[in-house]
Amino acid sequence: MTAVVEPTRPEKRGLRRTGLNLSLLLCIAVMAVVILCAIFRSSISPDSPFTQRLDIGDKPPSAEFVAGTDLLGRDVLSRVIHGARTALVGPIVVAAGAFTIATLLGLLAGYLGGWVDTVIMRWVDFMLALPGVLVAIVVVGVVGGGYWTAVLVLVVQFTAPDTRIVRSAVLEQRPLPYIDAARALGISKRRILFIHILPNILPLVLAYVALDFAFALVNLAGLSFLGLGVEPGTPDWGRMLFENRNILFSNPVGLLLPASMIILTAVSMNLIGDWLFERLTK
Amino acid sequence: MTGAPLLEIRGLSIAAAHGTITIGTDLEVRRGESVAIVGESGSGKSLTAKAIARLLPPGVSAKGSVRYGGLDVLALPEREMRSLRGRRISMLLQDPFTMMNPLMKCGKHIEEMLRGDPRFAGRAAMRAEVVRRLAEVGIADPDVADRLPFQLSGGMCQRVAIAASLARDPELLIADEPSTALDVTTQAEIMKLLKRVQQARGMSLILITHDLRLAFSTCDRIHVLYAGSLLEVGDAPSVQRDPFHPYSLGLLLSEPPADRRVPKLIAIRGQVPRADAVSGRCAFADRCDWVKDACRAAKPPLTELALGRFTACIRRTEIAAEMRTLRDTALEASAAPELETAPAIIRVGNAVKTFAGQRGRAVRALKGVSIEVRPGESVGLVGESGSGKTTLGRILVGLETATEGSITINDVDASQFSALSPADRSKVRRTIQMVFQDPYSTLNPRHSVRRALREAIGTGGSAALQTADRRIAELLKEVGLPESYADRRPHSLSGGERQRVAIARALSVNPKVLVCDEPVSALDVSVQAQILNLFKRLQGELGLSYLFITHDLAVVRQIADRIYVLYLGEIVEEGPTEEVMRNPKHPYTRRLLDSAPR
Repeated sequence: MTAVVEPTRPEKRGLRRTGLNLSLLLCIAVMAVVILCAIFRSSISPDSPFTQRLDIGDKPPSAEFVAGTDLLGRDVLSRVIHGARTALVGPIVVAAGAFTIATLLGLLAGYLGGWVDTVIMRWVDFMLALPGVLVAIVVVGVVGGGYWTAVLVLVVQFTAPDTRIVRSAVLEQRPLPYIDAARALGISKRRILFIHILPNILPLVLAYVALDFAFALVNLAGLSFLGLGVEPGTPDWGRMLFENRNILFSNPVGLLLPASMIILTAVSMNLIGDWLFERLTK
Repeated sequence: MTGAPLLEIRGLSIAAAHGTITIGTDLEVRRGESVAIVGESGSGKSLTAKAIARLLPPGVSAKGSVRYGGLDVLALPEREMRSLRGRRISMLLQDPFTMMNPLMKCGKHIEEMLRGDPRFAGRAAMRAEVVRRLAEVGIADPDVADRLPFQLSGGMCQRVAIAASLARDPELLIADEPSTALDVTTQAEIMKLLKRVQQARGMSLILITHDLRLAFSTCDRIHVLYAGSLLEVGDAPSVQRDPFHPYSLGLLLSEPPADRRVPKLIAIRGQVPRADAVSGRCAFADRCDWVKDACRAAKPPLTELALGRFTACIRRTEIAAEMRTLRDTALEASAAPELETAPAIIRVGNAVKTFAGQRGRAVRALKGVSIEVRPGESVGLVGESGSGKTTLGRILVGLETATEGSITINDVDASQFSALSPADRSKVRRTIQMVFQDPYSTLNPRHSVRRALREAIGTGGSAALQTADRRIAELLKEVGLPESYADRRPHSLSGGERQRVAIARALSVNPKVLVCDEPVSALDVSVQAQILNLFKRLQGELGLSYLFITHDLAVVRQIADRIYVLYLGEIVEEGPTEEVMRNPKHPYTRRLLDSAPR
């Protein structure tokens, strides 16, 4: 019954109160731009990403091509804008898929315990023991199917660590009296899991969804760079790194623009996830 | 005890970013004197103690003057402050387990303080000194020095912590709730030890506590702190005999007396306000029965009414007689309750519960316990931590399953809860419900009060949901909360209010029996009395039975008709409460009774 007075931060007003700051606003702006590009890519991009002009290939930025051209004379800017789609869709599917499966498995493992827990967690251990990118390379290389196979492999891979996080969050809630009270009232397991526990662990899970997105983006770009992601010719940031690595000196923008887009998008998503977590747990 | 005071605090104001914590506290401690700062949570007592040692958490600042043996503590450079701490001012905290480094042996904690002293430079000399220090706090076994904190009991740990904080022979020891986290019998031992050491060394002591009675039995002078303001200062015997401030009286009366059963506890209504909410007027005005407009007009100063007796009540002389009468009537003992004779609604026969312990060793939490609860009866289950009392309660509501033994609830054999048919299970749940100890996690933080109650009502089928809104209003009224509370979330409720909602939730299925697991032990004294009165009122109105699980004999004496004393998983004594309390047969019951501060 001692007064535990925690030092709290000064009251913030307006923008500051929501925890929004300049760097976060920048992150949201970056994500907004990427999302807009992914949706309205044809109307935004100045040129088709596919038109080849071999005579003016490999040119630095000019008035006509703001980001220059690649070896085949395609407009780099248009390709970066079109590449936003594969940069968003894959990671979103990976994050959403891994989140859904991991939440289900984690809730079951954490709440039910016993053999259910053992089976799920041993599977998680097994998955974590595999070298992630290597497995993806092997599977995509053997099975084929490019981008979507890679996405599927990442969903399975990301599910494992996420399950572990969800489970530990569930274990933290499980012994609390409000769960006991619900059990004593005879409330069904399903309701306890989804109505009582899930909302309380959601902030943590959502923060990890944002992390998943960032990791998936980098991983998918990496696979595309290795030639295991998107089909050749598709505008994709990772693929562009591979295609334009030889023109680093003649048109550096061709390499640096997609590279910085990958970094910016991943970092933005990370920071947004952090902010979401703090906001939801307060 | 003459000369300049060792510690002199003048106008100490502590403020955090979110508001004021204390306003202008004055305090003096002379050499060899023991002083208590008594207050409920939120009174600012702990931070006052921390301000003296300049250990305030970041973001909290102190203004005013703190003079310690001629030094201006608040202005001292950190380097010099460090040499003051431990050597001249030492602190002892509430929880011995978190206060000690879990990876450091007990002896090391003491060595750490002795290091640098040339007298104990050698290994053998150091060891001898550590053993001597342990002996001073009543630990005769020198091997304790080689054990890790988690290998010791709470009481032993607190002893080691005391030895460590005394190692540099401080002139002043600040003890912040040193016994609150411990079991009843251990509490008494630790307080006796502190008192003995303080007197033997002629050391000054500041005891921070919420327990007025503990303060009376340990200290020479009492300071009553409330919402950041000192309301009363005086020497312990005379404050105990005749408190000058209505708050001190209320605090004294809301503490259930251990030596008698009273018809109704005098509870202070409402809850402790924030210091900023009561600035510029009497902090206690909103909860005081004697409040007049003058009390709200200005902040009453602490004035000396009798020699060494200060009070911040401006109406003291007018209301002195009334306060005395209230006290006399409040302490009139009520007759022992009549015992119920109807056939038992809950019958537990020889219940055994075994948990899987470390390295496959089974831990027997219950070793054949038999109890009965009759309709309309209030039964106390008394025991210290580890006695198995909570386990028994959890078995009854189906949160655990007994390893052996028979359990009958409302004529349903509930020994194997999972084997019950859905109809029987529902009948059992409609018969018995539980109220938990911790008000802060007993409610789902993401659900509003309405949602929590609605869900509980909904377990009675969809028919019950049709009239749910009316029922929610009814339940809130029953537990003494306004209807508007339905749309509040737990984080905006105080501990007492949360506990009321938890009781409403348990009542929503119209149970016949409530298992209450230490429902008031985490609450402030004034709120505790409110909730105990609520339990009593509900019992009368709804004809409820209670199984009241507690370690607190004073509480159980007010509420229970019959008690069972549980010790290490076995019932060592049972009988009508008054009979057991007046004439305890088992040595353990006697020890429990002797440990209660009075």
